[in-house]
Amino acid sequence: MDRTIKYDGVEGFIARLMDNYDVIAPVPREDRFVFDLLTEPSGAVMEYGTTLLPPVKWIYRNNEPLLKFDLEDIEKTKAVIDVRQQVLLFVHPCDINAINIMDEVLAEEPADENYLAIRRATVIIGYECLTPCREDTLCYDKGCHYADRGYDVIFTDIGSGFYVRVETGRGKEIVGGDPSFRKAVYDDRIALMLRRDEGGLRFGRAVAGEMGKLSHLLKENYDDDIWDVKGERCLSCGACNIVCPTCYCFDTVDEIGSDMREGCRYRRWDGCQLEGFCKVASGENFRDSAAARIRHRVFKKEVYLKKRFGRSGCVGCGRCIDSCMAGISIIDIFNHIMEKRHA
Amino acid sequence: MSLSAGGYGQNMLPVAATITGIDRLTDKDCVFSIRLSKGGILRFRASQFVILSLFGIGEAPISISSSPLDSEKSFELCIRVVGNLTRAVHRLSVGDKVGIRGPYGNGFPMERIEGRDVVIVAGGLGLAPLRSLIRHVIHERDRYGRVIVLIGAKRPQDILFKEDILLWEANPSIEVHLTVDVAVPPWDKHVGVITKLFRYVDVDSLNAVAAVVGPPIMYRFVVSEILNKGLFEGNIYLSLERRMRCGIGKCGHCQINGIYLCQDGPVLSYMEARKLKEAL
Repeated sequence: MDRTIKYDGVEGFIARLMDNYDVIAPVPREDRFVFDLLTEPSGAVMEYGTTLLPPVKWIYRNNEPLLKFDLEDIEKTKAVIDVRQQVLLFVHPCDINAINIMDEVLAEEPADENYLAIRRATVIIGYECLTPCREDTLCYDKGCHYADRGYDVIFTDIGSGFYVRVETGRGKEIVGGDPSFRKAVYDDRIALMLRRDEGGLRFGRAVAGEMGKLSHLLKENYDDDIWDVKGERCLSCGACNIVCPTCYCFDTVDEIGSDMREGCRYRRWDGCQLEGFCKVASGENFRDSAAARIRHRVFKKEVYLKKRFGRSGCVGCGRCIDSCMAGISIIDIFNHIMEKRHA
Repeated sequence: MSLSAGGYGQNMLPVAATITGIDRLTDKDCVFSIRLSKGGILRFRASQFVILSLFGIGEAPISISSSPLDSEKSFELCIRVVGNLTRAVHRLSVGDKVGIRGPYGNGFPMERIEGRDVVIVAGGLGLAPLRSLIRHVIHERDRYGRVIVLIGAKRPQDILFKEDILLWEANPSIEVHLTVDVAVPPWDKHVGVITKLFRYVDVDSLNAVAAVVGPPIMYRFVVSEILNKGLFEGNIYLSLERRMRCGIGKCGHCQINGIYLCQDGPVLSYMEARKLKEAL
């Protein structure tokens, strides 16, 4: 059963959530927003542009411990998973869709148990977008400005307060027992429909052409000049990888404690755009040009993941465009490829 | 059996193993005999690999050089000093412990090789995984047709597994041909690139398979020679090298277009490999 909540009831709800969970919410940081651990219920903001890093990075964390070992006795080595009960609060639909993709990719056998255990302990409270959060996104092209699953509950602003759609049993527990919510009635649902209809009109396409043909067109244009053109500008800094809500490549790193005996192996984010990503110990670099690396990133999202999982790995959040110091835009690349159909 | 069946936490968990022997092959290469703790048995196929852990330093993928039919108690890893981890491995002694997980990858499809002539082409360190295949084939020699082994190295002193090669040369049931890029006396065998050895390859081409492992540059030239001999593209098996980090198709380093080489390889038929633009 869906619920509603008044604007002034939200802070109390967050305070009660904080009693039971680590609450990770969008908060202002300088002139931008980040997902961070809340210390005050009033710290969370509901209206925010895309955050610097996507919320999934609180599930697929950097420096995630994988193993603990003892150099004196390696028979004692054990796998570890650092699980905390956490809530990701006010997650935008693009980021919810990204988490859905990560769930699918990382559950494929052999599964990533660390991710899955932390994911299971993570409550997701969505916040529906009724207007684009900024320019240079392609969430609408990707159909990811809206999420139909992947959250426990999702808030939508209906003018008089928020409509709260309850999707899971866990979501029902969280809002069902909370005094700020009341049951949604017919008028609330009508208000929700109207709001959504209005909201839908505010979104527009960034890419000209039929997205369903993108994967095919990319394959046809594997050897196109666009990769060299973008490759010449690319700084191979890997920022696009780190901000991407569906990039999950990693490396491992061992650290030894100050006792020089006990240590931990961590997972550390890695990026396919970095120059040495495919370099083997003998010195051979199997993807040694920025052009080939950019192509790989685009193909991974639009061709390889699509073939394996039946859907694109890009949710159109636009973070890679925003973070690129060289001004490389995935929208430009897609538009260029889409034009190729007429060539 | 996979050592680390189950979840990912478990998948990244190496089991402890002990070095039971070290055999120096060249100034850069040693063979380490490894025995798993607690009577563990590594069941593998030729051209599968393990991920070797030195705790505090890290991990590296190493192909298995012994044959699955050699011994259940231990297996062998041929390790060349190329970086931090391998340098540290070379400082270890018999009795020291390491971590092992795997085996990973698909390995050579022995069931598809049975009953056929076999051409094995090893360039440089490529002999490390192919020694596993050669020993496997010799173990059950009557299951295969003609067996021809071509081995290339930079210089005579770089040739790996010289003791094995002497045995193979003395074995009338297989043919072995060696070449080096640069001869150093008293070298009395071939000099030049490995493709020159193909004039000795005389097989029932319609019913022959080839197994090729070597440096990246080698594949194109060798495959072209094999195709000239009339072998089918699907009967030419290449074991490729990439940066295998996790072994479980997640970390992304070994990806060749849409495949994860650690899971879908390292052995690909030429028919598969030539469809992957990044493969060769």
